[in-house]
Amino acid sequence: MADEKPKEKPREMRAEVTVPYEMAVGSNWHRFFEGLKEEKILGTKCRKCNRIFVPPRSFCPRCFDDNEEWVEVGQEGRIETWCYSNLMFPGQTLKPPFVPVQVVLDGTDMGFQHRIAGFDLSDFEKVRALVKFGGRVRAVWNKEKKGTIFDIDYFELVT
Amino acid sequence: MRKMAIAQFAQSAGVESKENLMDFTYRISKEVLDKAGLKRSEVGCVVIASSDIFHSGLSCANAIDWDGAGAFMVEGTRAEDSMFAFIYACMRIMSGHFDTVLVTSIVKGSENPENDTLTGFFADPFYMRPLGINETTAAAMQMREYMQRCNITEEQCAKVVVKNLGNALFNPYAHVRKRVTVDDVLNSDVVSDPLKALECAPKSEGVASILLAAEDKAKKLTDKPVWVKGFGTSMDHFNLGDRDLLNGQLKIAAGRAYKMAGIRNPKKEIDVAEICEPYAFQELLWCEKLGLCGDGEGGKLIDSGVTQMHGASPVNPSGGVLAMNPYVSRGLYRLIESAMQISGSAGGHQVDKKVKTALAHGTHGFAGQCHSLVILEG
Amino acid sequence: MGKAVAIIGTGQTKHGRRNDVSYPELVREAVKAALEDAGLTPKDIEGVVSGTMPSMMEGISDTHLYFADAICEVGKPVLKVETCGSTGQSIAHCGFYWVASGAADIVLVVGSEKMFEGDGQATMSTVADPWFLKPFSAGAPGVFTMQAMEWMHRFNIPEDKAREAAALISLTNHDNALNNPFAHIKITMTIEDAKNAFIITYPVRLLDVCPTSDGACAVIFASEEKAKKICKKPAWIKGVGFRGEEYFLGESNKSIWPSATEAAKHAYEQAGIKNPLKELDVAEVYNPFTYQEMIFYECFGFCPRGEGPDYVLKGTFTMKGELPCDPSGGVLCTNPIGASGLIRLAEAALQVTGKAGARQIDGAKLALSHAMGGIDQFNGVTIVGADL
Repeated sequence: MADEKPKEKPREMRAEVTVPYEMAVGSNWHRFFEGLKEEKILGTKCRKCNRIFVPPRSFCPRCFDDNEEWVEVGQEGRIETWCYSNLMFPGQTLKPPFVPVQVVLDGTDMGFQHRIAGFDLSDFEKVRALVKFGGRVRAVWNKEKKGTIFDIDYFELVT
Repeated sequence: MRKMAIAQFAQSAGVESKENLMDFTYRISKEVLDKAGLKRSEVGCVVIASSDIFHSGLSCANAIDWDGAGAFMVEGTRAEDSMFAFIYACMRIMSGHFDTVLVTSIVKGSENPENDTLTGFFADPFYMRPLGINETTAAAMQMREYMQRCNITEEQCAKVVVKNLGNALFNPYAHVRKRVTVDDVLNSDVVSDPLKALECAPKSEGVASILLAAEDKAKKLTDKPVWVKGFGTSMDHFNLGDRDLLNGQLKIAAGRAYKMAGIRNPKKEIDVAEICEPYAFQELLWCEKLGLCGDGEGGKLIDSGVTQMHGASPVNPSGGVLAMNPYVSRGLYRLIESAMQISGSAGGHQVDKKVKTALAHGTHGFAGQCHSLVILEG
Repeated sequence: MGKAVAIIGTGQTKHGRRNDVSYPELVREAVKAALEDAGLTPKDIEGVVSGTMPSMMEGISDTHLYFADAICEVGKPVLKVETCGSTGQSIAHCGFYWVASGAADIVLVVGSEKMFEGDGQATMSTVADPWFLKPFSAGAPGVFTMQAMEWMHRFNIPEDKAREAAALISLTNHDNALNNPFAHIKITMTIEDAKNAFIITYPVRLLDVCPTSDGACAVIFASEEKAKKICKKPAWIKGVGFRGEEYFLGESNKSIWPSATEAAKHAYEQAGIKNPLKELDVAEVYNPFTYQEMIFYECFGFCPRGEGPDYVLKGTFTMKGELPCDPSGGVLCTNPIGASGLIRLAEAALQVTGKAGARQIDGAKLALSHAMGGIDQFNGVTIVGADL
């Protein structure tokens, strides 16, 4: 018996996991999302290194000091980098294809994560011809505001 | 061994914070650095403690915790449990490669589902999980065995709750602060028989941070260094059925820490003990294994009153984990309370006697599968 | 500065889809192999460090509890250390510091992942916060592609040249994997195959991207005294370093990647390395993406900034090149995440001890190993050498 190999391959068992969470947005990001409802993009400024953070940070990770100054930043910016995503996996918010982008909004010092849309994204060659490094983009607001990142529907190309 | 000490520490109070995880973390690590007069970039190394059980719905918590812990471009790492993080920090100093290590542990219980929704993920998916084994059901089985084999009564277990929550009344950092009686405990809802609701730790939030420093440096960063004398950890079998639930690995872990610290008679030499007791009876069982009383004498120990705040061997003057249970952080909370007792800064929950040596203990896994402890000295 | 520490044994599983074994059985395979390699028994182990990708890829958390029996933890001091994809390097560093501290003489370090049991991208993307990063997450490929695009733009690298170099990296790694008995993906391919493969996140195509694998790796660390006693040819730890940037992807410049640069610099300083291209004999770079591998070459000082593709195209990093990289086939051909960074170290140790078989670089004496993690946030480096 001991030497006999099992006739069938060991099987696999299906399992699924869902867990609910209640996550604190915090006063800092709450203020940012309230700003979006009014079609304003707000950032915070570090008094030591003078960098302007969007999304706002309540502290500067480098200088490790409180960021107390709020500023409204531009709704246009330049493309720092982008990609064209054809990938789909469970839990993903946007359906492919979509174009994630990092925009350096006017008046800020770092890339802000969002998406480029507003034209046909189905052919990547066409997308590639239109989306350029350093190219200008502008926030397009969602008519319906919910106080989330999608209050900015997407960034459109400025031509 | 290179001498090292806890130079500064800070902890958040047990109340629910409206701040997000990142800001919550920043506030506490910043407090420690400010107390020490140290810049973030001057810290030799950062060790973060957080959980991989999707606490706050996030995986790889070291990523979001990094900024608030002050770790930007500083040598750093992350451990799964705060006792692990602290012990690893000790090793980094002992290696001679670093003079200071900032250890920060992060849990935001208010964002998480019930503790056991998450501890259920410790279970293997084939045997234990389908059977509903989680930390509470495992502890209930352990408690029944303890009561049977050692003649421990439900009243004796309930007394631990009365004592610890009573102590917590004096601790502004505790989460559950209410006076209860033995009857209250015995009459509280049965969670998993014989465990009653008041005998089980709550779900708390807590960020705690400790600045550990090598001898020379510690003396510059504080006038009250609390020295690390020894540490130990040990791991038991995974399957509950493979284990003797009353004689696990704590004795072995303690033996390691005692040997390192040169402690021969813990009952006499440990002035105060901060013990991780997510379930009331575990304080009694762990006291036995730590040598604070004889095997099977945990019941007598609580009856005698010596573990009361003003007794000869106070246990959990902070109120323990029954009063404050930020899962991963609870080890650092034990260490911080021990350090406060040694430096005489515990205020209303300062014990009556002079504290020279203190013990801080942590455990995680089903029925104490893994134990860790650290010995501190004034 | 601390005691000298050596690697005295390594073990790997056969990586790939391993539904023939349960998760604990898989890790045990690696531990057994490492013990055999070192000629030790579980009794000799004084401490155990373990780690996986801290995102419950298999739906199990705190796996050090689950693996207690499989990785010889029972009755022993243990630590659990994890830092996303860089876990493999972080647990190795823990093993190193543990022995260097004098608290133990022999420490076993185990990293693992069983990625076929869950959805890698779904769990990995939970590293991203739900408010700002997660909604636009295109998984790991999206993040790495954006970084590669930024790098190409910053250094004016023509897209065709980067494409050509990335394809050559893909070919080199896939060819190398054929010499590695543990590797997962073993295919014969051409440059053209790489250039025409299915687009994942433009310009990154299927053959530019690592697979998901089941696998485990174990490495045994020992003090100088023990190493000299037990092991004929130990691999000595010459330097270690780990750095991380801010959480938000847009904050640091990933085209020059400060964490990768500084982690390597920290390790080089300890190892006394001034010219890595000349002094290193081989490197095991964590390369889940071909384009990203070139950024690492630049950060590690293997070539000047922006010249990664030129050096790749002149063959610097092939098996016969000046500094062969990933003779194992790298992460590109084998990626059980929690093990991947440790596999890099194990492979580096095999190289400097002359035990790398068909993938051996002749006379290798000094090797770099590396891992990366988070949303392009963390980098860890370990240098090993044949001489103390």
